[in-house]
Amino acid sequence: MTAGIRGARRADAPERPPALRAAWERIVAAPGAAPVLAIAGTLVLTTVVLLAAGVSPAEAYPAIVRGAVGEGNLEYTVANLVPTLGMALAFAIPFRAGEFNLGGDGQLALGGIAAAWLALAVPLPGGLAVAAPLAAAALAGALLAGVAAPLRTRLGIPAIVSTLLLSTPAVAFASYLVRFPLGEQGTGIAQTPPLPEAAHLPALGGSGHVTLAVPLVLALTAAWAYADARTVLGYEVRATGANREFARYGGVAVDRLATATLALGGACAGLVGGLIVLGPPYRFVDGALTAPGHTFTGIAAVLLAAGRPAAVPVTVALLTVLHVGGEGMEREIGVPSSLTQVVEGLVIVLVAAFATLRGLRDRGNGTATAGEVGA
Amino acid sequence: MPIPASNTPAPDTAEAAPEPYAAELVGITKRFGAVLANDGVDLAIAPGEVHAVVGENGAGKTTLVSILYGLHRPDAGHVLRRGVRVRFRSPADAIAHGLGMVHQRFRLFPGLTVAENVVIGAEPVRRTGAIDRAAARRAVAELGERYGLQVDPAARVGDLPVGVRQRVEILKALYRGAEILILDEPTAVLTPGEAERLFSVLRTVTATGASVVLVTHRLAEVLAASDRVTVLRQGRVTGRFRTAETTADELVRAMIGRTVAAAPARHARPADAGPYALEVRDLTVRDPDGVVRLAGVSLGVRPGEIVGVAGVAGSGQRELVDQITGLAAAGHRSGTIRLLGTELTEADTVRRRRALGLAYVPEDRHGRAVAPAMSLAENLVMGDQRARALRGRFGLSAAAVRARARALAERFGVRAASVDAPVATLSGGNMQKAVLARELSRDARVVVVEEPTQGVDVGAQERIHALLAEAAGAGRAILLVSSELGELRALADRVYVLYAGRITAELAREQATEDRIGAAMTGTDPATGRAAEPAAPITGDGEGTP
Repeated sequence: MTAGIRGARRADAPERPPALRAAWERIVAAPGAAPVLAIAGTLVLTTVVLLAAGVSPAEAYPAIVRGAVGEGNLEYTVANLVPTLGMALAFAIPFRAGEFNLGGDGQLALGGIAAAWLALAVPLPGGLAVAAPLAAAALAGALLAGVAAPLRTRLGIPAIVSTLLLSTPAVAFASYLVRFPLGEQGTGIAQTPPLPEAAHLPALGGSGHVTLAVPLVLALTAAWAYADARTVLGYEVRATGANREFARYGGVAVDRLATATLALGGACAGLVGGLIVLGPPYRFVDGALTAPGHTFTGIAAVLLAAGRPAAVPVTVALLTVLHVGGEGMEREIGVPSSLTQVVEGLVIVLVAAFATLRGLRDRGNGTATAGEVGA
Repeated sequence: MPIPASNTPAPDTAEAAPEPYAAELVGITKRFGAVLANDGVDLAIAPGEVHAVVGENGAGKTTLVSILYGLHRPDAGHVLRRGVRVRFRSPADAIAHGLGMVHQRFRLFPGLTVAENVVIGAEPVRRTGAIDRAAARRAVAELGERYGLQVDPAARVGDLPVGVRQRVEILKALYRGAEILILDEPTAVLTPGEAERLFSVLRTVTATGASVVLVTHRLAEVLAASDRVTVLRQGRVTGRFRTAETTADELVRAMIGRTVAAAPARHARPADAGPYALEVRDLTVRDPDGVVRLAGVSLGVRPGEIVGVAGVAGSGQRELVDQITGLAAAGHRSGTIRLLGTELTEADTVRRRRALGLAYVPEDRHGRAVAPAMSLAENLVMGDQRARALRGRFGLSAAAVRARARALAERFGVRAASVDAPVATLSGGNMQKAVLARELSRDARVVVVEEPTQGVDVGAQERIHALLAEAAGAGRAILLVSSELGELRALADRVYVLYAGRITAELAREQATEDRIGAAMTGTDPATGRAAEPAAPITGDGEGTP
């Protein structure tokens, strides 16, 4: 954070009446206040957006809920949870160490194309037919995200910039591959041929939407939460995010750790790409991975949860329900589902405003931390 | 600290200025969180004078001039400009009122020319709306001519040495019509020769009736370049002097205060010729700009000894400590450092040095010694997170971490709501005791301690001093960097004095009087009373990029 400059500008902000200010600061400072306030704010915002669009919330909310968890829709919602949760991990893991991975789209696309390529090019027996493409997907994502670390430590380019800027070329590269060398000949559609049956993710349940991907991503989330809270590595990551200089002082190899968290985040994003490609419709379709916007929904969820591992699944679920339910609302009462995207954007603004307010409270003690950015 | 009456001419009476002050800060108070940066500070700047604002790091100098320049707004107090009350909401307001500031870190565009940098935001334009580059160059050349600030207006700033870049900054302020020029630590980046040139430029500036506010902690400069001095210590004014009537010694006293109350008497250890636990030999450090920060420093600490390092802040203490602890930024170094017999190279990581037996209590508590948002227990773990004692069945045992934190808090008298409370909620004294608890509870034979009692209350000070004395009694080698002379005299067996990156004195306990330390701190040779040469061959050509 550019504490000096921003602090200076804040100092010029108009003064608030002291009593109101004190009450507000008490609320902001309360432990766990950030996610609760942010979620409440999300619902208020949704209502405001609905009203502004001339839709009765009394009609819209039931439609959203039915659309998300109603008959036959729950399975679809759960299937949708997977990529968003995975992309939330891709952002959250480096975020805990104070690094920003905004390149999820590129890592996702590269992971997807790597998985598709391996599954098509090298027919493997048994479980390997699924495991190897997923590993390739994770590796591709990790390499792309990992590049950001030396760019920062050697050249001083912040990860937030390099991950974002590397994302678009990566998406374009995957798009090129699927149009030419890896594309299905003769269809005119930018997609790979269907993957061999052996490489299909095993489905759990009837519709085929819920696959092995669901338990896999849930297990990853649990492993992350555990590592964050209970392991030495998790401790060092949190210390680095809370105060990089403090971690360095304590003997933590902060640069290596930052590289590792970025690579791990990228691996999660790549893995999500692989999981999507190995699930229905069992091929890499150009644009199908990035179009639904899992990356930024995941980022919004992590910011909303202030990066706390326990809260991330909750906020992911909230946003997924809004997303999927929004489509149901569109079908049912003819309200465009893009309204939920409006809400999502507003959530990010809200969280950023919240972080600024907290920074205002803490200004001058020179201790802005990555944790607070999302808090 | 009471201000000696003779040194405090009430600004309005004794000065008897026929015209109002160019600028006046009245009763300025500014608080940042728990830190009181300025506490009722008055500062009056007369037209045509060079007014030095001096004090240790953290004394509140930069905050004060930032308020004058509109970067911060005071919590209490106000600013007068030519006797009229003004409110600066931003630096733009201050600039409009004829203020200019040269920051410690230059704010220039390296890719643009000198002229472009100088006129930026106030460019001369042709009738077509295009920038009149020729006019800009002429204006800059003229300005440079008038003030003796010769710079080629067409040169690219990125190609210029640091000293010349500073001239560009000064030109920038003058071009905007600054009548009060604020320079924040201007000589930190300069060679002695460049500093000389800067001072003569300042004289030219004041000759036109403009005023200069010179923020510095280097006393030789204050004496050489200023007309009047205001000394700050812990946010308060502790002295106002006319430069011609004061001495370095008097300024040092005002800057660092006299003694801490009732420091524990520590018995001097018998002289010991044993091997050093920590030994620094001929250490020379240049920063990436090529400026020499340490010049041939040699010192040693034996087991059971407390060895003090005195010096005005910025004399090389930070560089010395960073070299020992392995936290140094990029730069060039020569000389050797031995820790318990092992020669340290730049490849030795912080973790390895700690494993060899080094502990470190940093000066910068919030920035380095703790992570304020993390809990007390988690802060107490740092450095030992891989220790076997803290391992549970699966990784770090939360129970062991908290149990250890409770035991340490008990033993070192750290008062906190709970070990799960964020460290930010602790008072300065308790936070420092927590840091000491962490560092002294490690099995480290060498302890580097920086300003251990800065910003802590008297009770905590005594406790901290007792802890350090006890640690030395247990055979540890302690290097104590402090600007509190009382602290050094109470604890140290020997005192090294740093001035401008070199050691100007090594004094045994009984020789280390305030006068002798003070004289060495100002670079004055006690025998001749003359200022010693500052660290000599500095940048060569001063080239390099920041």
